[in-house]
Amino acid sequence: MLSTYAPMFMIIAIATLIAGLFYTFATVLGPKNPTPEKMMPFECGSDSVGSRGVKLSVKFYLTAILFVVFDIEAVFVYPWAIQFRQLGWFGLASMIGFLSVVAIALVYVWRKGALEWES
Amino acid sequence: MLLMFALSPFLVLGGGALLLMLAEVFSRRPSGLAIGTTIVFITSGAFSVALWLYGIEFLPVGILSPWILVDKFTLFFNVLLCLGGALASLLAGGYLVEYKLNRGEFYSILLFATFGGMMLASAGDFLTLFLGLETMSLGAYALTAFRRASPRSAEGALKYFLLGSFAAAIMLYGIALVYGATGSTDLARVGAAFSHGVVTSHPMALIGLVLIVIGLLFKVSAVPFHMWTPDAYEGAPTPATAYMAVVVKSAAFAMMLRVLLTSFGDAESMSWSAGWPPALAAIAVLTMTVANLIAGRQDSVKRMLAYSSIAHAGYLLVGVVVALRSKEQAAAGVIFYLATYTVSTIGAFGALILLGSYGKEAVSYDDLAGVGKRHPAIAMAFSLFLFSLAGVPPTAGFFGKWFIFRAAMDSGFYWLTILAFINSVIGAYYYLRVLVFMYMREPQPGAAIAVPMQSRHVKAALLLSAVFVLALGLAPTCTLDAAIAAATTFRM
Repeated sequence: MLSTYAPMFMIIAIATLIAGLFYTFATVLGPKNPTPEKMMPFECGSDSVGSRGVKLSVKFYLTAILFVVFDIEAVFVYPWAIQFRQLGWFGLASMIGFLSVVAIALVYVWRKGALEWES
Repeated sequence: MLLMFALSPFLVLGGGALLLMLAEVFSRRPSGLAIGTTIVFITSGAFSVALWLYGIEFLPVGILSPWILVDKFTLFFNVLLCLGGALASLLAGGYLVEYKLNRGEFYSILLFATFGGMMLASAGDFLTLFLGLETMSLGAYALTAFRRASPRSAEGALKYFLLGSFAAAIMLYGIALVYGATGSTDLARVGAAFSHGVVTSHPMALIGLVLIVIGLLFKVSAVPFHMWTPDAYEGAPTPATAYMAVVVKSAAFAMMLRVLLTSFGDAESMSWSAGWPPALAAIAVLTMTVANLIAGRQDSVKRMLAYSSIAHAGYLLVGVVVALRSKEQAAAGVIFYLATYTVSTIGAFGALILLGSYGKEAVSYDDLAGVGKRHPAIAMAFSLFLFSLAGVPPTAGFFGKWFIFRAAMDSGFYWLTILAFINSVIGAYYYLRVLVFMYMREPQPGAAIAVPMQSRHVKAALLLSAVFVLALGLAPTCTLDAAIAAATTFRM
């Protein structure tokens, strides 16, 4: 069974070899002439301003997480809608159960004020 | 309708969690939530008992198989997990108010996590098993981080979360490999494939087995997969620590028994020469010894109890190894031990909670100096739980240890029993050290003195645990019979 993968391993080995060779030759043979300007971090050609860490408001994360929750909901509802007739009452009951749980989560999030941007 | 009845423990717990979530946002006073949560737990447990008495053979549980297996094993664990959850929520009712952490989410998370734990104990398929595992673990991560202002809490939660998700990924990989080799995620079918010698034709099944066992050992915090435990247990608010030490660990052992005995319970996988029992035996010895030696060196009582819970995982693993000889005896011993461990551990953490109050917590051994004179009732309850953890008769812990050690002797593991016995003697040292501080030391002059909190919730939890510890110690027959009946699930 492993022999099926032999060509893949060979490609990986050859690719590593070639990349490694180029990198080594470039480091060993290439001319080096470092100046302070060359060693600076490159930022659109202008000097860097400010510190690296930017504090993002937690609101962005909250919005992203809530988006994922309701996005996943759509992912589950869509195939159910396609197969609506075949799944019948059992599918309908399951989906109502699922949607009501998500609806309760929405009520919770709403009352907690997580949907307010300004506060 | 009968199907709803069969699923009632789950429905009650899930519905109760959603209701409490709504109650929390619509009421401005979250004071009744602890009692509400306890009632939900007790109702769910009562439904499980009702199912047991009604007789599951009269219920249409077959159509739930293999996703959710409703058998006596499941029902016993439902009751055990609900008991642990109820006691933990009573502890939280006192602790969270005292330390100004009283947000209702704690109770909802407690219920959701227990729901996951019950799913874990009842899962007959690797997919539902993984779902239950993640539901439970996510709740446990959130509970660990619940003291938002405390850096220790955040540190513990982050370590727990990173290592926990890593272990879950390893286990999932193992499941994928086993699925690749056997073509099924159903535990029973995997077991059938293993007993027909799938390992010889697909060596990757063996790697899958090893990876799954690693995931299981991480969840029960066995050495060398225990590194997260002391930090997570110390950082978490104490009721959450008690909950994790009891409910999460019990559910993980339920999963371990079910997976090892159903899927990997064939003669070859369970043989002493080529199977998992010798590896588990080595890990059991390592877990007991390392945890007991480190526990003796702790200054913080909470951290000592964390290491003690690791050591108990070691004794329980000794019980799992007994499966080599008899699956039923192994399962019965482990189940009964978990029942005794649940009530003793919750009680010990509860006594520690009750001895402190806001700004005057009881953390180190020195804080306990002279407690025996100042608060004799709490000291006596604490001593009872510690005696039970140490395995002194006539408390619950004695019978728990006795059944496991006797089962190990019956299976011919004399050296394992001797090592476990030596370890429980070492364990007695640090449990009794608490008693020495409580009864024989006086607080240093000028040192801050821990002041007990006034909470009816915590006192009720302590009283209940004490009653259970004594009841299981003096009359273990009823629970033991139930444990043996639950273990018949694994009859060959």
